[in-house]
Amino acid sequence: MTLFSQLDRWKEQGTISPEQHILLIGLSRDEPCSLFLPLNILFYAGVLALVGGLGWTVRTYAAQLGDIIIVTALSAILAGSLWHCFTHAPNILTQAPNMVLDYVLYLGCLTWSLELAYIETRFHLLSGQWDNYLLATACFFFALAYRFDNRFVLSLALSTLAGWFGITISRLPGTQESSYRQYAILYGLLVAVAGIALRRLSIKPHFFGTWLNVAANVLLAAVLSGVFERAGYLLWFLLLLVGCGASLAYGLARRQFVFIAYAALYGYVGISSILIRNMSDATAVLSYFVVTGIAMLVALTVTARRFGRES
Amino acid sequence: MRVYTAADEESLRILQLLKDWVNLGFLEESQRQTVQQDVTCELRRTNGFLRAVLFIFTLISAAAAAGLFFIVSPPRDAASFLLLVFAAACYAGAEFAVSRFHLYRHGIEEGLAVLSIGFLWSGVQAASPQGSLEFAAPAAGAIASYLLYARFGFQYLFLAAMAFAAAIPQFWTASHSGQHLIVAAFYLAGLAIVVRIQPSHRLDYLDAEYSVIETLLWLGLYLSLNLQLSSASLIAPWRPDLANSAEFSRPFYWTTFVMIWLVPAIILWRSLAIRDRTITSLGLVVAILTLATNKPYLGLPHHAWDPILLGLLLIGVAIAVRRWLANGPAGIRQGFTAQRLSGRDKQWIDSLSPTLAIVLPNPTLAPLSSEHEFGGGTSGGGGASSDF
Repeated sequence: MTLFSQLDRWKEQGTISPEQHILLIGLSRDEPCSLFLPLNILFYAGVLALVGGLGWTVRTYAAQLGDIIIVTALSAILAGSLWHCFTHAPNILTQAPNMVLDYVLYLGCLTWSLELAYIETRFHLLSGQWDNYLLATACFFFALAYRFDNRFVLSLALSTLAGWFGITISRLPGTQESSYRQYAILYGLLVAVAGIALRRLSIKPHFFGTWLNVAANVLLAAVLSGVFERAGYLLWFLLLLVGCGASLAYGLARRQFVFIAYAALYGYVGISSILIRNMSDATAVLSYFVVTGIAMLVALTVTARRFGRES
Repeated sequence: MRVYTAADEESLRILQLLKDWVNLGFLEESQRQTVQQDVTCELRRTNGFLRAVLFIFTLISAAAAAGLFFIVSPPRDAASFLLLVFAAACYAGAEFAVSRFHLYRHGIEEGLAVLSIGFLWSGVQAASPQGSLEFAAPAAGAIASYLLYARFGFQYLFLAAMAFAAAIPQFWTASHSGQHLIVAAFYLAGLAIVVRIQPSHRLDYLDAEYSVIETLLWLGLYLSLNLQLSSASLIAPWRPDLANSAEFSRPFYWTTFVMIWLVPAIILWRSLAIRDRTITSLGLVVAILTLATNKPYLGLPHHAWDPILLGLLLIGVAIAVRRWLANGPAGIRQGFTAQRLSGRDKQWIDSLSPTLAIVLPNPTLAPLSSEHEFGGGTSGGGGASSDF
């Protein structure tokens, strides 16, 4: 039975109202056709191009333009962006009323970062203590993200905070630096605790998923990098088992399959690296992957059937 | 041809739409619970994350099994034959998984289908003699990918078929212009077929699928025509065989220049005519690519402020279109609206935006530290010297 015949049937049965029937028939035929996604693409690409161009221009023409022009121009964009956001969403409880506000705020935040980078590089106001800028910027972004309910800016805040901890995305996979690993774990724990606390306080609880995903990935990646060490990896291995166990338990309890997936992938890679690191026989290695691969398939399928819900 | 029945796929579409409509507030949850009882579907689906993990583990175990077979009983002269046997076995496994367990986008049958193409391509590659039959491997890959797409409906296999098809012409002609033309002809032929078929599926579950297929074909056509992109430094390390844009004949070069302006216009015109937002989105993306590659095409140098102008143009267009639509009755003009009417749009933006915000360069994390690039500021405020 097609969608349209079903809709007709539900109207005749009285399950949906005639108004709903007209609306849903129209939506099923793309009437009206929504340009929401294409407009978002235009805004997003536009903001990125604009800020990228500003950065390139500042870099290339700093000498010709001079500090006053550069700082004034960047400050004007920043002030204009913030003015627009605060005047168009004056109520702190009001969610972003339209997509323009989201991108204007994103533009303002990126411009703030650019201006700060320029000012510090040029004037060394904090004597090169870049860390302080990062922390202040992260706090500023968190405040704006929560004030305007903006996920772009929340992610920007989380990546800036990670920068304060000395973590950048390029250093995440497989790094061997133990000091970096400890900072990454500290960052992951802090993000997890902050996310939980904010949710308990019912402050934008719909952001909790973003906090927890970032925390889980940073923590598990950091611990996994310790498992790859040639010596002293036992503690990291135990921590990985604990982390994967916690991720699995949370995923099962909340039916959040992404956390089951994290547990499966990080756990499998970690355990495999321990078990096959001293194997030199290709037959044994391949046999291991055949057996464990099938075992994982069975375990995940059973888990999905038992605890699952369809996507 | 399709392994799933039309009724099942239509039911899945209805279930997805019902969920969407509840999320958008067009339907009450209680209404959904009631009407959902009328929609029966025996297909077994899973969550997207689990689907990805199952796909990975299927690839690991099946590829390791094939490798194990080669090590335990190494074939002397029959390696290609053995690979073809593995391809057949993987395909049979995918069919079995669907027919026996009713799997639908479940990762396992997808992993087996992908492996069967990989084994087939490797087998034909190993069996093909050097010379006139070298094109057989990509051709086999293209045909197999298309057939498995048609059988299971995995749209990424259609993309794989397009990629294999793009690799065929290099065995037919040494002329880079000729290769671009043949690839463009492949995609154009595909477009002609899809454009002809799609209208009869405007109201059923295949509409969205054909929309994606048409989008992929338009993208392929555009990329095959934009010589600046195909010879870009981004791709060059992986495809050193690709020609430098200066190697093309002038008439061909300038024809493609005209085409990279025409194709986005045609895509946008068609997408608005058939009211397809996936194709509209692609039209905008390729229009941006045309604007970004226009200067290299003309041999003009890029200026630092070019991205600023591009950004302002894109933002200006977006604001103008949005305002124009919003000022229409009920926010609708000519059958278009800026409002979100699909849960998938929000899903895309919600899942992509945080990832992009983290992955893309954050200016705060990359201070403008290359001091030598700031020579001789004119004001040198704050007591700083003019050079740093």
